Amino acid sequence: MIKMEKVTKVFKGDVVALRDVNIDIGKGEFVFLVGPSGSGKSTFIRLLNREDIPENGRIFVAGRNIGGLSDWRVPFLRRNIGYVFQDYKLLQKKTVAENVAFALEVIGKGPQVINRQVPAILELVGLARKMNRFPHELSGGEQQRVSIARAFVNRPLILLADEPTGNLDPNTSVGIMRLLERINEIGTTVVMATHDRSIVDSMRQRVVELDRGMVVRDQARGVYQ
Amino acid sequence: MFSLRYVLRETGQNLWRNILLAVATVVTVGVSLSMFGGFMLFQVAVDGATARWQDGVEFIIWMNSDDGSAEDVSVRNQLSESPGVQRWEYVDRQQSYEEFREFFEDTPEVLEIISAEGVPPYFRVVPVDPDPDVVEELGSQFKGKPGVRTVTFAGDVIRDVQNLSNRTGRALFIGSIVLLGASTLLILNTLAVAISNRRTEIEIMRLVGATKWFIRVPFMLEGLVQGMLGAAVAITTNALLRNYVIDQFSTADGLQLLAGFKVDDSELLQVNLLVLAIAAGVAVLGSILAVSMHLNE
Repeated sequence: MIKMEKVTKVFKGDVVALRDVNIDIGKGEFVFLVGPSGSGKSTFIRLLNREDIPENGRIFVAGRNIGGLSDWRVPFLRRNIGYVFQDYKLLQKKTVAENVAFALEVIGKGPQVINRQVPAILELVGLARKMNRFPHELSGGEQQRVSIARAFVNRPLILLADEPTGNLDPNTSVGIMRLLERINEIGTTVVMATHDRSIVDSMRQRVVELDRGMVVRDQARGVYQ
Repeated sequence: MFSLRYVLRETGQNLWRNILLAVATVVTVGVSLSMFGGFMLFQVAVDGATARWQDGVEFIIWMNSDDGSAEDVSVRNQLSESPGVQRWEYVDRQQSYEEFREFFEDTPEVLEIISAEGVPPYFRVVPVDPDPDVVEELGSQFKGKPGVRTVTFAGDVIRDVQNLSNRTGRALFIGSIVLLGASTLLILNTLAVAISNRRTEIEIMRLVGATKWFIRVPFMLEGLVQGMLGAAVAITTNALLRNYVIDQFSTADGLQLLAGFKVDDSELLQVNLLVLAIAAGVAVLGSILAVSMHLNE
């Protein structure tokens, strides 16, 4: 599903964010990206979503080299990739249902699709009864569930999550991880950058550790260390 | 694929969120286009009132006799041979009558009294030297000649009207261009604020796969709406200016010069279409600048 071949990303001032990264992530895998701050986790995720382009190497998503993708095709790539933020990025003036519907509306989906898919995804994330609430009326965990619902409502092949439990207490984090696990079980490839040792240790999924832009460990059913 | 409902809703919301800035933009666009429209309307009116005196015509020789008569030929020969005459143009009785009808179309009582036979043909003369004394001497050579009814000179009033019109027109034109530039910047600024207010929304749109144009169109439409509302203000002002100011001049008693100082419906329509086109141009320019400066990935 995802393949990186000798990927190097250098930022201004010769700051190397990723160096010669080779990785292969299969369909339906759950992968934790771990490593200290500045190790290149976020850059890794941004490259997969084509927010950045590597200086060297090739990145394949669903068999397509996304580095050679013309700009006008990028939105269509992103329709196959869900994105979950650490700070949720919900629209405060929209209700839960409107926040989720927004993701479908802006890619041109009609009311019929929206009316069918939004309640279904809110049921999946356990917020069906709060669909008319505004974000400020929800807890942090519930807001993150809305963010996940918005990322997943279009049924993407890949879900990228950048520190999705970073702002949550341990109990709430467990709930979020169960939800991501469920989404993964449906067949979605999940790549999650995290600092949360207890979550990584308890889930026992594949762990890719980055350090100063290099992959220093790639372990199946791994732990944080 | 664009959802019309989405685009209209987003455009409306954008306008409502920045209502004060949007109103300021509409007013500025409206004022600048009103100035431009006013400049155009006064030019049209002055051109109409001084139609016979355009392009350097300094005196007119009104004839009693028609084209081809001995007197007419004599005047033509003298005009052609005179070194002081740069060029001349003959307006026959029918053309002269049509001009007369156009000139007095708002005063049917005059048109009722005078028939085509009562309106003389004439020569419009452009002298080499526009100095008033030279023109006076040149024109006087034709006074009293057989077949010549009278000779009239452009005189100070006509030239003053034209000069005033030119100067005022230039000031209005420059002012309106400056304000149109300001309008473009104001539209750009309003859209920049709208884009900034919706940073998070735009970021989400990009990440979930909205196309560049899907993100841009509501903002561009917002700029276009502001431009069109400004044009509506200007078109209303133009109509009021035509109906309550310019037309008052043409019906003022005792001012024969101003009888032709008017703007008809087709001329008003032409000016309004020009105003509309400029408003669209300003709006599109401001919008394109705003989205390319603030929404470029």
